[in-house]
Amino acid sequence: MRFAFDREGPAAAVAFLIGAFLIGVPSIPSRADAATEAERLREELAATKEQLSKTQGELDATRSALDALTRRVDAMEAAQPAAAQPPAPAPPPVVAAVPPAPPPAETTARLAPVNADNPAISFVVDTELAQDTHSSWESIGYPNGIDFSLQNGELFLSAPVDPFVRAYASINGTSKEGFNIEEAAIVTTALPGNLTVKGGRFFADFGRLPHWHDEGLPFVDRPPSIDRIIGGESTSEGLEVSWLAPIEQFIQLTGGIYNTVGAENLDNLNSDGFFGRRNFDELNMLGRAQTYFDLTDTVNLELGASWLGIPADSNRNLYAGDVTFRHQPGTQGFYQGLVWGTEWLWNDQRFRTRDDTGATIDTTRLQRQGGYTYVEAFFARRFSAGMRFDYSQSPNEQTDLANTVSAFLTWMPSEFQRLRFQFDDSWGHEQTNQRFTLQWTAFIGSHSHGFAQR
Amino acid sequence: MASPSVRRLFFAAAVAFALAGAASPALAALRVVASTPDVADIAAKIGGDRVSVVTIAEGSQDPHKVPVKPSFVTKLNRADALVVQGLYLEHAFIPALLEAARNPDIMPGAKGYIDASLYVQPLEVPTSQNRTQGELHPLGNPHFNLDPEQSKPMARAIAEGLERIDPAGAASYREGLARFDALADQKIQELARIAAPLRGVKAVSYHQDLVYLARRYGIDLVGTIEVKPGIPATPGHLQELLETMKQQKVQLVIHEISYDPGLGASLAEKTGARVATVSAMAGGLGQPGYFESIQADLEALVTALHGEPKGD
Repeated sequence: MRFAFDREGPAAAVAFLIGAFLIGVPSIPSRADAATEAERLREELAATKEQLSKTQGELDATRSALDALTRRVDAMEAAQPAAAQPPAPAPPPVVAAVPPAPPPAETTARLAPVNADNPAISFVVDTELAQDTHSSWESIGYPNGIDFSLQNGELFLSAPVDPFVRAYASINGTSKEGFNIEEAAIVTTALPGNLTVKGGRFFADFGRLPHWHDEGLPFVDRPPSIDRIIGGESTSEGLEVSWLAPIEQFIQLTGGIYNTVGAENLDNLNSDGFFGRRNFDELNMLGRAQTYFDLTDTVNLELGASWLGIPADSNRNLYAGDVTFRHQPGTQGFYQGLVWGTEWLWNDQRFRTRDDTGATIDTTRLQRQGGYTYVEAFFARRFSAGMRFDYSQSPNEQTDLANTVSAFLTWMPSEFQRLRFQFDDSWGHEQTNQRFTLQWTAFIGSHSHGFAQR
Repeated sequence: MASPSVRRLFFAAAVAFALAGAASPALAALRVVASTPDVADIAAKIGGDRVSVVTIAEGSQDPHKVPVKPSFVTKLNRADALVVQGLYLEHAFIPALLEAARNPDIMPGAKGYIDASLYVQPLEVPTSQNRTQGELHPLGNPHFNLDPEQSKPMARAIAEGLERIDPAGAASYREGLARFDALADQKIQELARIAAPLRGVKAVSYHQDLVYLARRYGIDLVGTIEVKPGIPATPGHLQELLETMKQQKVQLVIHEISYDPGLGASLAEKTGARVATVSAMAGGLGQPGYFESIQADLEALVTALHGEPKGD
């Protein structure tokens, strides 16, 4: 056999070599040629990717159909022997609707693994400028003159510990009171019977505003009545159990037992050389009941009643009632709702007068009371304005009485920054005082809206 | 001996227990709480008679401002499942409610926590994040419900979740999913026909919540009234937006019903654009169904585009 090559002779061989050179040997392109070539390759790559994507889709569809058919065959095979043996099995689906479980890569990544084990961390910077017109009312925390202060620098940490409990801490520093662990508590998350147990140092569930953190309050200050009768926040060290009724109506009951309740009470005791040991009936006991009603779709009412007592010799019985009325119309016009909150406290307490050796030389029992009422209206997404009236008798001074009327205006440039102006006018057994406060607060870090300070 | 007040307290607690015990057997359906009307509608369509669905947010509400009501706590406390839209859309109300609900079965990661975003491929996932960029959602833009194509992966995640907590109803949920997918295919085509005039239309919205809708129907979003997500407009930003709208001949100002209509109306007045009011969640325009609500949105956009009177 002879090859055509041989038959065509040298001319064909030369032509073949030239053609092979033109086709197979890379040319030396100009810059423009290179760009064109790159463009062409990019298009080719895109087309190939698209083709691959389509093929993948077709493959998935084929796999789904195959699985569907397999399930139908399985179901039919299962149905045949069962026909004579009632009860019949569930019929197979009309179409195998749910495709097979996707490979993990099909879902979206949901966690940044680096931070997966870290607690949620947030920090609040709460600073203010305040001026008082008269030197008075030291008993309700009004110093004389003008001053800047860090009201709160508060670090908050929170995380689940395991499937059964979570833990949180609130570490706080202020210009006036220094550094303090406000809260460090463990809370159960999986107890049966709708029970929750909390232990450690925390704000006891007394009343409404006493257990709010300062930066969550609707005003620049805690209402004087709470500050004086409870002693600041309801800080306590102890154990608290709460129960949510398993019914449609919201009913929550709380019982607690603590060393003391109220930050200042604890501070005062410690400064007097108190080391925390006492008899069982000298501990503080707490009971609280809370309920809630949706009066209409946009109007609701929340009611609470609290008792705090020291059983030994009936040393103390503090009762409180709180009412919160909210209008939440959900509209987006200028007016966007209001809150009316009222809380009243009645305190019946025995006070000891001691001599230099610490021995009791006299006891006095005083019944004193106080409370506040306020209205705050919300406007145009970022503004609110309100008025507050507070009436407070000092729990340990028979003649000490303070009335305070306050007006406050809040603007939030964003969800994490707040400016608030408040004017207070106080009168009573001391000289009338006016106070002007400008508060500037920023929130950084982890962001969640708590239920308790809603 | 207990005082009368203590005895009354114990009596109230006993009554509460008795009521709870009596109520449970009567409600055989799976108790499902849905965070938004969109996932509520999809869950109800898939679950049929096997589920009883209640919704927390209303369609006209801003998801960042849904009230945290104690009445929702009791619903969550007794729920068998919680369906969320996901991607942190509900961060302003669901975590707070769950904190108080004492129901470990519906906590994130538990069997009864159903995340409808599981199979959704999100847009606008931040490559870096801090709050100079506004209130970005770290896992991406969570408003995917406005793209009806996304209803199918949402439905799939919901059906799988219902099956997970109620294996006895697996066949029913699969049938429900098949019905839903068929309905979705039909609605997607219908909605595409309605939306055809919107392709290439330039628009601005109040919040960055229409990106999925815009991508699906070819709407060209050129800006938002908010400076950045969650950051209200400033005068400088509005002036800049006004110039952009004039330069680009923006035809539509889209007012999401959960936000203040005033600024959008003012921009429209100054630029000659038309205002259309839409709802970023089902029900805001009075159409409670998921597809019906998107249809109402699209009809509002098309109507505004075709020259109906300005305003809402």
